[in-house]
Amino acid sequence: MSDAVLETKNLNKNFGALAVAQDINFSLNPGARHAIIGPNGAGKTTLVNLLTGVLRPSAGAIFLSGEDITTMSENERVKHGIARTFQINTLFMGLTVIDNLYLAIAERFGGATEMFRPAGHHIKVQEQALHILTTLKLEENSLTVVRELSYGRQRLVELAIALALDPKVLLLDEPAAGVPSTESHIILDAVDNLPEDIAILIIEHDMDVVFRFAKRISVLVRGSIMAEGEPEEIATNPEVQAVYLGEADHV
Amino acid sequence: MVPNHSSAAKAVNYLQTRHRFHWGEAIPWILAILVFYFLPGYRLLATQILVMIIFALSLDLIVGYAGIISLGHTAFFGTGAYITALLATNNIPDPIIGLIAAAFGAAILGFLSGWVLLRTTGLTLLVLTMAVTIMLAELANDFDEITGGFDGINFTNSDIFGLIELDQLWYSSSYIYVLIVLFLSFLFIRTIIYAPFGRMLIGIRENPRRMSAIGTPVHQRQVIVYVVSAAIAGIAGALWVQVQGNVTTEVYAFELSGDVLIMLILGGTGRLYGAFLGATVFKILENVTEQVLGTDQPYWQFAIGLVLILTVLFARRGLFGIFEDLGNKWKERGQ
Repeated sequence: MSDAVLETKNLNKNFGALAVAQDINFSLNPGARHAIIGPNGAGKTTLVNLLTGVLRPSAGAIFLSGEDITTMSENERVKHGIARTFQINTLFMGLTVIDNLYLAIAERFGGATEMFRPAGHHIKVQEQALHILTTLKLEENSLTVVRELSYGRQRLVELAIALALDPKVLLLDEPAAGVPSTESHIILDAVDNLPEDIAILIIEHDMDVVFRFAKRISVLVRGSIMAEGEPEEIATNPEVQAVYLGEADHV
Repeated sequence: MVPNHSSAAKAVNYLQTRHRFHWGEAIPWILAILVFYFLPGYRLLATQILVMIIFALSLDLIVGYAGIISLGHTAFFGTGAYITALLATNNIPDPIIGLIAAAFGAAILGFLSGWVLLRTTGLTLLVLTMAVTIMLAELANDFDEITGGFDGINFTNSDIFGLIELDQLWYSSSYIYVLIVLFLSFLFIRTIIYAPFGRMLIGIRENPRRMSAIGTPVHQRQVIVYVVSAAIAGIAGALWVQVQGNVTTEVYAFELSGDVLIMLILGGTGRLYGAFLGATVFKILENVTEQVLGTDQPYWQFAIGLVLILTVLFARRGLFGIFEDLGNKWKERGQ
């Protein structure tokens, strides 16, 4: 029906009587730059968790390149090409930056279960890791333990790990959240320069980031998509202004 | 470009060389050989220490590397011990066959229990591992016509490869036998740790949530390492009873699960040699306090408790952590 990489059909999720996702239909085409905005508690992170397989939907289906992945576990979906970053840094804090990347790439190459050959002999994995570090200008920090990096640079490691998985679809959950304004340009530049062929879904509060980055925007309110369209349409949509942008104006 | 290039080269060098042996790693083996020649009167104690090192190493694999906390590792130790003893009393007294059978038996138990237990984490997991051990101890008690109960079973090993007798008087061949098994177990574990599998375990310890998000089937991998660890613990249990020629339900004692965890924390978790240091200090401390203060009161438990508190307060990475710090200071001074 379409050439979407990621598509949901009537996706629903209830926590008891509380509906956190209601009949969500949307799709991402290859190379998409799609943003999901919405007030706090609208269900944005829930949607990411549904798409990545952390949560199972109560009803509806999810398709990746036409394949039904609704019942697939989180780790299987990663192997099929869905990667994510977390709203709050979820890294290997006690390990060096290069080790953080090593783990992701070794898992992707399928070598992570090898027991009898030193990890240091995995030359391809190291090349990949260095390549990604260079792309994100992190190579100076290769041997820094992640815990000792500034928060902004830790956000870059989040992004680096996701890129190391060579995804078809990348879900960015507030990539610039918590980053001081002095550092935010680092992460925003990195997001701007992500490979064009990856379909990217970005969840974001910061309207500057959204309008700078997204070519398409969906507005999520109380678990359902209220409006979807080009950035100009969304910015001028009176309903959206009332619910979301209007609110922001009052603050 | 130049500094970038050198930091990349450094990173590659770090990844490619960290599995190499350091000269310092020869020290424990040299000490073990010195003890054999110069302290023959302490060979029994030393043999017990060597066995405990294997046991603690097996625990380090799950606690220190994979971050699976367990208070029930005697389940595997005891199972290995009984398998070996029961084989010996049923006409299969070959020690090597005993070891292999113990490893397999403990591994099967590890698989069956691990598959279920490892779906839980934290305190629940801790209590469940305890429960399995206590259950097995009770079973061993109830079926005392098979296990010999508190009195235990005596058995004789046949000669290793039909040549070498495990002597229970001077512990000369027994000591060497245990030392060789320790060496092989250690090499095996060390290889795993520096292989991609070991790196992956460290990832699970550091952040299971992220491991799942990079595509790792965490539960499945935890079960694999649990099985490997159980097999090695089974070997330790088998050795423990082989050198004594006797097995009692003590091998399932829940206290031993606590002891081996204390050894590991004392020595330092997730650093291989922590097990060597911890088991040695624990056993020597136990022995010395018993000799100096007597056994009419559990003085040694007080001593261990005190040392453990000091370790947790002042040396969070265990005694081996202190050595690492000293080593790093030394290096800095050299530069």
